[in-house]
Amino acid sequence: MKKFALLALLLSTAVLFAHHGNTAYDETARVRIKGTVTEFIWTNPHSQIYLDVKDSSGKVVNWGVETNSPGILTRAGWTRRSIKAGDEVTLILCPAKNGQPVAYIGSGDPGTKVIFADGRELDFTDKTIDKTAP
Amino acid sequence: MRILILFLLLSSFADAQAPSKENAPRRDLSGVWGIQAARETSADDKQSPGGEIPPLTTWAKARYDLQKPGYGKRAAPGGNDPILQCDPMGFPRILYFPTPFEFAQISNRVLQMFERDHVVREIWTDGRALPADPDPLWYGYSTGQWVDDTTFVVDSTGYDDRTWLGAAGFPHSETMRLEERYQRMDRDTINFTLRIDDPQAYAKPWIALPRVLKLRPRAEIRQGYCVASEEQSFTKRIREPGALDTGAAPRK
Repeated sequence: MKKFALLALLLSTAVLFAHHGNTAYDETARVRIKGTVTEFIWTNPHSQIYLDVKDSSGKVVNWGVETNSPGILTRAGWTRRSIKAGDEVTLILCPAKNGQPVAYIGSGDPGTKVIFADGRELDFTDKTIDKTAP
Repeated sequence: MRILILFLLLSSFADAQAPSKENAPRRDLSGVWGIQAARETSADDKQSPGGEIPPLTTWAKARYDLQKPGYGKRAAPGGNDPILQCDPMGFPRILYFPTPFEFAQISNRVLQMFERDHVVREIWTDGRALPADPDPLWYGYSTGQWVDDTTFVVDSTGYDDRTWLGAAGFPHSETMRLEERYQRMDRDTINFTLRIDDPQAYAKPWIALPRVLKLRPRAEIRQGYCVASEEQSFTKRIREPGALDTGAAPRK
């Protein structure tokens, strides 16, 4: 029951906050991909992470991953140097519905995040909101 | 035991007197504010006033049919939402965009500063009237006054009719009139209401879903310009591949 309530909360939150302007992504899915960053673009209103990912046949595919604006990311504790080319990362993401190697991670979809090889994580929780305030 | 209970009672009383319960500052909205998520009645409320959407006039229905949003029940990839090419978001849509904004008060104006495009909306407080036939502006022409020590009321018109009332593509006319009420409830809280009068577009006034704004002293407003060349690059590399009709399933 708790799991169902949590899932319902996650889904409703996703519907409330998704604001990246298209319907291309499967926002009910959370898919894990692992790869090597080729580019991190820190631009408004969409920052982007590109990474080389080996598919099941061993072929390398370059994925393009949309994420939030520098404003939202900064308040979540990111900087323009948070990710760099060559980083080995795992992303929990919402894939494109049409099977193309594009995806979304960001504040619109709770649970999406970046995990580095050493276990460090970057998420999208706003760190400037005082959680102790009533 | 009684002492412990008394201590716990006093502690909870002390909590109830936390700083946010201070009296509301008088005639002052200064600071960075964040709009709180609201119960949205439908997918058509994205970046929108929400509430019950009144019946559209024939003029508005024709426009609505041409607008191809990325959200709501008519959503499809490859839409024509103006913000997808960095055209101005307009007001009130920008207020509902989930990034903070700042109020600053100067002698003859209240300035409302948004992160998206680093927009500054000027609200004149020098007693002037709204112009009878204003040039349409992306963020309208606005006047404001304090109706009591904690309630600031803004009247505005002259909005460029190319902007949408939210991501679902509801239109408005250039003669739309807005009445916003910002009521400071305490140090940390503003209750916000909005009434849209636009007889050219809607059969009756659109009363927005009431929203709460919370003070965000640790947040700063960034220069969040939408740059068309950057957006075009993003569209080419991510948005267009994501919108292709491939008939394939998502990669897992």
